[in-house]
Amino acid sequence: MKAFLKTLFGDAGTVTVVALIMAAEVFLSVVGQPAVGAVLIPAAVLVGVARLALR
Amino acid sequence: MLDWTVVTAAFLTAAVEWVEAFTIVLAVSLSIGWRGAAGAAAAALAVLAAMTVATGGVLSMGLEVRWLQLAIGVFLLLFGVRWLAKAVARGAGLKALHDEAESFAETRAELSRGDRAAGWLIAFKGVLLEGLEVWLIVAAFGLHGRAWASSTTGALAALVVVLAAGLAIRAPLTRVPENAIKFVVGVMITAFGTFWTYEAVAGERAWPLGDLSLLALGAFYALGGIGLIGLIRRSRPIGAAT
Repeated sequence: MKAFLKTLFGDAGTVTVVALIMAAEVFLSVVGQPAVGAVLIPAAVLVGVARLALR
Repeated sequence: MLDWTVVTAAFLTAAVEWVEAFTIVLAVSLSIGWRGAAGAAAAALAVLAAMTVATGGVLSMGLEVRWLQLAIGVFLLLFGVRWLAKAVARGAGLKALHDEAESFAETRAELSRGDRAAGWLIAFKGVLLEGLEVWLIVAAFGLHGRAWASSTTGALAALVVVLAAGLAIRAPLTRVPENAIKFVVGVMITAFGTFWTYEAVAGERAWPLGDLSLLALGAFYALGGIGLIGLIRRSRPIGAAT
């Protein structure tokens, strides 16, 4: 079961990175700055990838 | 009409996973015979096929597209950032490149301690877990835009190619450039995941370039990933890799 969940969702680090990206998407949408997100979100994703790669 | 972007993404993702699954089945077959190992693999593939059909049946009925897009996008992001990060770490020398010969030897060593039933279970579990990632991609691409035929075609084509190559040489497929494929798939899936989640959250105002943003995202992640590999290599001296 643990292996199944890990395959499906990844480890805690991956889940945290994606949760932060989702939170940023919701925040930018709520404050009415969706166009800013078109630049910031991909940059945030890349930072998350770097963070995961460096573990 | 097949959507070739989806076919390619499904094919590449599935190819990597099928190679890993084949390596396990091959190692098990040397202990319990081809019939037992192939039976375990077939049972796992049947479970995956049933999951794919059930997923399509449940999710394609009565769900608002926006929520479906969000759920699929989150899964693609979870999957994409993981693969991209792994490919970057391997490309930068922080992690060893995946070695099918090593996986093969590990599975053989594991089997030497077990019996026939354990061998069957190892093959079944191996194919099921590797196939789960294929199922995720097939389900995700298949549900969005009703591209079932394209995503299933890509995954099945990869299975046929890997099986044909594997059976022809009867050895671990060590020459498949797994990390390069993982990098490309990671880029594609992360781009799709970012595009779909943000569009689902912020609506059509999210991406000023519309569908063209998907290409821009792919290029950004590809160049960004290559840049990260270079940056990490320069900042960490050779020999510091763990």
